[in-house]
Amino acid sequence: MTDAYNVQYLFVAVFLGVAIVFPLAPLVIARLLAPRRPTPVKTDVYECGVEAKGDAWVQFRVGYYVYALVYVIFAVEAVFLYPWAVAFTGLSVGAVIAMLIFVLLLVEGLAYAWMKGALDWK
Amino acid sequence: MNWYAIQLECLLAILAVVVLLTDAFRPVRDARRIGLILSALVGLTLLYSFTMQPLGEAVFQGMYRLDTLALFFKRLFLLATAFVLLMSAEFVERIEAGRVEFYVLLLLCATGMLVLASANDFILMFVALELVTICFFVLTSYLRRQVPSLEAGTKYLILGALSSGLTVYGIAYLLGITGTANFEKLRAVLTEAPVGEATGLWFGMVLVLAGLGFKIASVPFQVWAPDVYQGAPTPVTAMLAVGSKAAGFVLLMRVLMTGLLPLEPVWGPVVLGLAGASLVYGNLGALPQRDIKRLLGYSSIGHAGYVLMGVAAVNALGVAAVLFYHGQYAFTTLCAFLAIVAVTRVTGRDDIASFAGLHRRAPILGLALFLAMMSLAGVPPLSGFFGKFQLFAAVIDRAQMDARYYWLAGIGAAAVVVSLYFYLNVGRAIYMQSSDRTDAIPVSWPVRVGLWICMGAMIGLGVYQRPLVDAALQAARVFGLE
Repeated sequence: MTDAYNVQYLFVAVFLGVAIVFPLAPLVIARLLAPRRPTPVKTDVYECGVEAKGDAWVQFRVGYYVYALVYVIFAVEAVFLYPWAVAFTGLSVGAVIAMLIFVLLLVEGLAYAWMKGALDWK
Repeated sequence: MNWYAIQLECLLAILAVVVLLTDAFRPVRDARRIGLILSALVGLTLLYSFTMQPLGEAVFQGMYRLDTLALFFKRLFLLATAFVLLMSAEFVERIEAGRVEFYVLLLLCATGMLVLASANDFILMFVALELVTICFFVLTSYLRRQVPSLEAGTKYLILGALSSGLTVYGIAYLLGITGTANFEKLRAVLTEAPVGEATGLWFGMVLVLAGLGFKIASVPFQVWAPDVYQGAPTPVTAMLAVGSKAAGFVLLMRVLMTGLLPLEPVWGPVVLGLAGASLVYGNLGALPQRDIKRLLGYSSIGHAGYVLMGVAAVNALGVAAVLFYHGQYAFTTLCAFLAIVAVTRVTGRDDIASFAGLHRRAPILGLALFLAMMSLAGVPPLSGFFGKFQLFAAVIDRAQMDARYYWLAGIGAAAVVVSLYFYLNVGRAIYMQSSDRTDAIPVSWPVRVGLWICMGAMIGLGVYQRPLVDAALQAARVFGLE
């Protein structure tokens, strides 16, 4: 194995270092610089600026996961459609047909989910 | 686009999509009939596949091969799928929800397997492997109100995800070092470069082997097999035992004997060791089992050991033996599971004791299960005997050059003797034990037809082996081994 090959992994190590230091730095700086005068209101738990109500262990409606799954259809579609659209002018007819089949398969998934009532909120 | 090469896969995928949409727009009332129709259609596809001719060149930028080996395994998978769909039609009443989707997932799973048989490239291999594995994640946990099924699904999910992770990590290493994902190009690169240089290469190879070892349930990646075999719905267990295993072996052979052949001195002893360990573990583990599906789970590990003997031999005889073994193993195992589905439909139990007196309650089921067990044990004149005979012949042939292989043959012979005990135990329950229940177990005509085909094949291939041996030898030629 050549050195140049191993050097590529140096980027990963550097990136890892930066990834650890970057979020820690503001916390450390804040601790060193910021004055601390806690009051009950300041130390209160909150979510998105709203006061927390009840316990954190509440039950969520599992129905959400169906929406998440259906969302994946569109997410995957977008991921593949963008590079395809960018390179569109240089593509052959086969690539257009392949993408058409791909989109139709996703549409089939959506149609199935729709007909099975996955989009009805009960 | 080369449609000729992927027509079988397209047929199955279209069938799956059509069934899925039909059920979405006009809900199916009689799921059993749909299952029988699908089984017949896949059977017709199997017949149609015999008109196809192999292509000399790899297609899709060298990713996909339609050679005799690929066709051999494609037919095997179609056969397995047709039988598993037949089983599912008998089983489907026990599924609460998503009956038609059960068939659809089986069809998609089969599509993935057909692609795997042709994969000539690590990337295509991984994508097809995932298609198969993800379908199995859902299928194993299909009886979602039954704890054993959920347990099976969870175990398969966690270990399957781990093995996929290992495989893709290994592929990344091989790709990074050699610069190619194509099996033939990989072989060319490895032949030119000195082998001992890159430790990363060995690392990658071991990881890919680990991922494939999971698929074929070989020691030390076997822990999932008994639990998953026991908990999964019986048709899914059959698909795992026949389809998934064969898919793992065709990939293993393509990776080892095409891509990594120059590294044979490195992986040869490893496969030898895995074969011996699987033989010992599977056959000893099966001894105390009381549940027939769990027994078959252990037996499946043992059979992975037998087949690995043929892979370890690395000669044309060994590859042909592997192919023949898979051909006959498919009929034998499908016969056993078909009989089990028909029995458990009435009794609702999987333990061997519930098969007591089966020959009185349903003579054909008793006979079929007994013959399947004897064929698995390798009793002549059934096909299992000749399958094992060929594997041993290949190993002995190799042992002329390398004495370590005599040890492997010895372990294999001991394993055969041990396995007689637990296979005969099932036979004893069927024929020699009596049960307080003597009411007849009804057997529907499709099951009868399926059982007769399997039994005919088991006896036929045991007595007249020539057609399958010729096909296996011809398919084995693609590797160009001696």
